Amino acid sequence: MSILPEELRYLESHEWVSVSNETPGIATVGISAFAVAELTDLVFMALPKVGQSVSAGHEFGEVESVKAVSPMYSPVSGTVVEIHSELVNNLESLSVDPYDGGWIMKVQMSDPSELARLLDWTSYKHQCDNA
Amino acid sequence: MSLPSVLTKFSVLQKGAPLDGASLQGIPREGVVLIDPPLSGETNMAIDEALLRDATPESPVVLRVYRWEQPTLSLGHFQSWDDCRAVPGLSDLPWVRRKTGGGAIVHDQEITYSILIPETRNKSSKGHSELLYRAIHGSAVENLQRLGWDAKLSETCTCSTATNQKEEPFLCFSRRSPVDLIIGTDKIMGSAQRRTSAGLLQHGSLLIRHSPTTPELIGLSELITQFPSKLVQEGFRDDSVGSYNKDMREKGLHDALMDRGCERVIAKAPFDQTAWVNFLILVLKKGLSQIVNCRWQDRNLDEHSVFM
Repeated sequence: MSILPEELRYLESHEWVSVSNETPGIATVGISAFAVAELTDLVFMALPKVGQSVSAGHEFGEVESVKAVSPMYSPVSGTVVEIHSELVNNLESLSVDPYDGGWIMKVQMSDPSELARLLDWTSYKHQCDNA
Repeated sequence: MSLPSVLTKFSVLQKGAPLDGASLQGIPREGVVLIDPPLSGETNMAIDEALLRDATPESPVVLRVYRWEQPTLSLGHFQSWDDCRAVPGLSDLPWVRRKTGGGAIVHDQEITYSILIPETRNKSSKGHSELLYRAIHGSAVENLQRLGWDAKLSETCTCSTATNQKEEPFLCFSRRSPVDLIIGTDKIMGSAQRRTSAGLLQHGSLLIRHSPTTPELIGLSELITQFPSKLVQEGFRDDSVGSYNKDMREKGLHDALMDRGCERVIAKAPFDQTAWVNFLILVLKKGLSQIVNCRWQDRNLDEHSVFM
């Protein structure tokens, strides 16, 4: 699987979501290259638990960098079915590959129509360019 | 735990102080200064957490200065309590976990502050605000220098990454980040942040003197006693106070003392903790004024009006 940023949907708070044709009910979630650059050196990341419910626009985890803690918000609602636990010990990899290798969690979506409310690449890039 | 009554009263204060078009770009925002008496660790953290959680774009900027009713250890948000066993004496202290990051602090002989800046326009930000760190610590440097202290920003880093986090000192005041305030080689002031879509919370601590729990950490009071007062007195032995005052006016404290052969320059310092609190509020207001145009309501709520 190769995830291209141009094909993703985004929250304003820089979380991306990807849905593959093979598993249309499952959303893969991560944080964008812009967010990783804004966060600078990442120190800690707290992930959700498998089986945990998440809600669109609400916090699902936290990340610490340079003595600042920032929440991560879920782009979709549903149940966490998989987490990328190895990522916690390899946060530096996010600055190299925030998409394919930098996914954070996979969510069984309860309402796939929420995807339509997210930003497409053009809108998200416009937001970042004007930040 | 149930939230302290101060929050109920504080929310009344918020309603009574609406903003008139709040902005980070020049239009004045309401600002509230809270000076709290010594409280428990749980209460202190609950107040700050509630301030951030309940912040709306209409909420005032809050500058809170507080102390702790007993020596208390606060952990950075992701720190493990088990790691405090490596530092003798720490595990005996009551402890709380901050919402902000960074290293652990022994809240004993220090003054703590929190700043809340409610988010009004850019709810998408992630990470720290270098601007706020540098505004506050830069203001502290400037105001301490005016008192004669050789204060500066560290501009060095023991910052950890995810792979070497265990190598970084457990205590905040043993760490160095570029924006930490140091005098000589000793860290005197450090801060940490939490950013949500509701706003930005910054915690900070000004170390007044060392705690028996952490004798290796030097506070401002120890730095004062390190200044050899005998040398200062000897330097003035043959000079009248009037001459010294005249030189002070013309040359400033540092030059006046060095002319008299002092080996070290003595600095002025607030004489008690209340004076230090007032000094810190001055520092924080001046720093904040560089990034937020605040119209401060200095209704400094005393213990009776807030907690009775």
